[in-house]
Amino acid sequence: MLSINRRGALGLIGAATGSLILPRMTFAQGKRPSVTIAVQKITNNNTLCVWNEQSNVGERVFFPNLWEGLILRDWMGNQGPIAGLATEWKRIDDKTLELKLRQGVKFHNGDELTADDVVFSFSKERVFGDTEPKGGKTIFEDDHKPTTAKELPASVPGIGRRLWPALAGVEAVDKYTVRFHNTTPDVTLEGRLYAYGSQIANRRAWDEAASFTEWARRPVTTGPYMVSEYKPDVSLTLVAFDEYWGGRPPLEEIRFVEVPEVASRVNGLLSGEYDFACDLPPDQIGAVEAASGFEVQGSTILNHRISVFNTQNPVLADPLVRRAMTHAIDRKAIVEALWGGQTVVPPGLQFDIFKTTDMFIEGWQAPEFNPELARDLLKQANYKGDAIPYRLLNNYYTNQTSNGQIMVEMWKQVGLNVEIQMKENWAQIHDPEGIKGVRDWSASANINDPVTPMVTQFGPNGEMQQKKDWTNAEMNDLSVVLETSTDRAARKKAYARILEICEREDPAYQVLHQNAVFTGMKSSLKWKAAPAFAMDFRSNNWTM
Amino acid sequence: MVRFVFARLLRALITILAVVTFAFVVLRMSGDPAQVMLGPDVPQDAVDAFRNAWGLDQPLWIQYLAYIKSIFTGDFGVSMRDKASALQLVLERVPATLQLTIPALLLKLMIGVPAGVYAALHRQSAIDRGVILLAILGFTLPSFVLGLLLVLVFSVILGVLPSGGQDTWVHGLLPTITMSIGGIGILARFSRSAMIEVMGQPYIRTASAKGLKWSNVVWNHALPNAAVPIITIVGFMVGSLIAGAVVVESIFSWPGIGRLLVVSVSNRDLAVVQCILLMIAATMVLSNLMVDLFYGWLDPRLRHQTAH
Repeated sequence: MLSINRRGALGLIGAATGSLILPRMTFAQGKRPSVTIAVQKITNNNTLCVWNEQSNVGERVFFPNLWEGLILRDWMGNQGPIAGLATEWKRIDDKTLELKLRQGVKFHNGDELTADDVVFSFSKERVFGDTEPKGGKTIFEDDHKPTTAKELPASVPGIGRRLWPALAGVEAVDKYTVRFHNTTPDVTLEGRLYAYGSQIANRRAWDEAASFTEWARRPVTTGPYMVSEYKPDVSLTLVAFDEYWGGRPPLEEIRFVEVPEVASRVNGLLSGEYDFACDLPPDQIGAVEAASGFEVQGSTILNHRISVFNTQNPVLADPLVRRAMTHAIDRKAIVEALWGGQTVVPPGLQFDIFKTTDMFIEGWQAPEFNPELARDLLKQANYKGDAIPYRLLNNYYTNQTSNGQIMVEMWKQVGLNVEIQMKENWAQIHDPEGIKGVRDWSASANINDPVTPMVTQFGPNGEMQQKKDWTNAEMNDLSVVLETSTDRAARKKAYARILEICEREDPAYQVLHQNAVFTGMKSSLKWKAAPAFAMDFRSNNWTM
Repeated sequence: MVRFVFARLLRALITILAVVTFAFVVLRMSGDPAQVMLGPDVPQDAVDAFRNAWGLDQPLWIQYLAYIKSIFTGDFGVSMRDKASALQLVLERVPATLQLTIPALLLKLMIGVPAGVYAALHRQSAIDRGVILLAILGFTLPSFVLGLLLVLVFSVILGVLPSGGQDTWVHGLLPTITMSIGGIGILARFSRSAMIEVMGQPYIRTASAKGLKWSNVVWNHALPNAAVPIITIVGFMVGSLIAGAVVVESIFSWPGIGRLLVVSVSNRDLAVVQCILLMIAATMVLSNLMVDLFYGWLDPRLRHQTAH
């Protein structure tokens, strides 16, 4: 309990008044301002570890302000790779990538970034645990082990191996040169280096922490801001790191506060308490924009909403029925009705970022809305109106429930009998008991190559096939080509064929729309939202 | 008396065990914590490793026996999210919740009971009708609506109070008011009804006929007798000191037990949920026990029955 006397109360009132006035004074004096950002969730797993917290909300607080990789994602540009902690890189062969580290880069604890930190960041102790790379053995570990062992969260090695299935190890060639050795040929190594998870941590800070949790609550990195205070489920405060290699950060402090209710985030923004309110649903955009001095910035992100089919369902075993389901959905109507036209229907499971590696299949489109064709396909399948269960979560994704209800009605229009079954969590969605049918999902491009999400989500080791929802022998063969071939033309051809299989011939999923994120903010702030959850507060994206 | 206390304590223990068992079974039957905790996109290897690490791959009855054994040794388990002692996590949040619920309880008592008593003593007057109207309005208005309305008025329009957070004591004003309004309404109605019933009793007429001062009749004869049903309601309110702020804490981003419970249930952080439920059950049971004992102190007839 707070103990308040008259003097204390006066002091608190003074402090509260000061806290309201001071930030404005700092603006006035030309000093660096601070910002407060209201978010629905700071992290899901209550750590700031890039491997343990693989989530959209994690992306927001991590990038590009806290964690940095050897190669960075161009957050404010085309989302492609740009030089980061490495200044240049070259291929030694199909399995080996050599990178030159940027010299003079400082960690938040004052240490200089060296090859040793890079080797540690991809070590068994930090990520891979007792897993071994596909098709080979781990190498270069012994000389660069951290001196203290930490108990990794049980899920981290599996998550690490999903992004780096065949990484044998990292070799420290000299103080500023490292080589990544893969057991199999891989043209996507550069892309994997700027994916979520491949960021560099300081080895000494790991050694000095008493436990993984202690380290993961205050990771020492090279980013422009460092952790000042982290109260799980409450707030995260980052402060400027003035020795940042990219120049003096423009903000003194970034404070993320967890405000789970959207109405509370909007109210807090409008009352001036927050500078930014994140995770606004489309129906709140009007309320913020109607207020003087506020605006909403929104953009599509590298994540598509999809719904996937379970082919163990006797009705859905017939690809004709699945095809009918894909042609029964008017995606443009959904985008207009639920998103106010603020997002798009993508050209199948493709992302613009694939254009940077020439892996974008021009001319490919999502299944056309054609109710006649859908009815005809159902007739060919001899569909008799059997119920198809649709396990649905209550708005895990934005507008999910409304979207599900609209789709059920659209399916009904062509004669499909889809029944919604509301579920509370993902375990209930995946429960092997009972008959499955359709469920919602999303697919992300973590790198600039269709290996994500195509192989990682729908390939032989992807969740779709691991959960026995769907499988296709040709798709599995093509996944190997996409993962290991170094022939770019063959890879692109394989990807095009995969799209044909997964979206037309033997549908595994149907693409609905691209996901989008909306942030309410004070119009006076000269800041632009990236096409991502990440919020860039580096000097190039903040003007006084 | 010893047998009475012993019987109450035994009943309390059985109630707590029933709550713990129910929570244990329901939480595990309604979704695999590994899948819930790790989300939809992690590989199966990671899910399997998580389940193995936390013993979730063991049969349910083995998990249950291990859990019961551990709580009897004072070990309430470890949070799957924070890797810290569940009890420690819960206890860290208790002060924040009590910062809201205790002032709210005091407000309920200080406003609700006098308003109800005053209305009963001025029955059928404009004040009585006003109190009834406000009381009904107070307890029928859901706290999530009231909270947002208060924020809209005092934070957005007037700009005089913060809309959320726990930075200073001022941040606690709106959530405390939101929490107390419903309880004030309930206590006002119960106090009024109890007083009206007591004021119609023969012993009140007798006391008045003896020539006692009216204030003496109210304070010494009416109020103690009207207190029994009021104490019952207050007992429930005291019992919900720990658990009573779930909605309000979410609206005002107040980092107390309520928010921890919501987050822990949605993440299936089993040890933390079970620890919170255990604490809530214990508080409620203890509160009821105290109400039982208080009845005896207030009403000699009950004490007399108890002795037999």
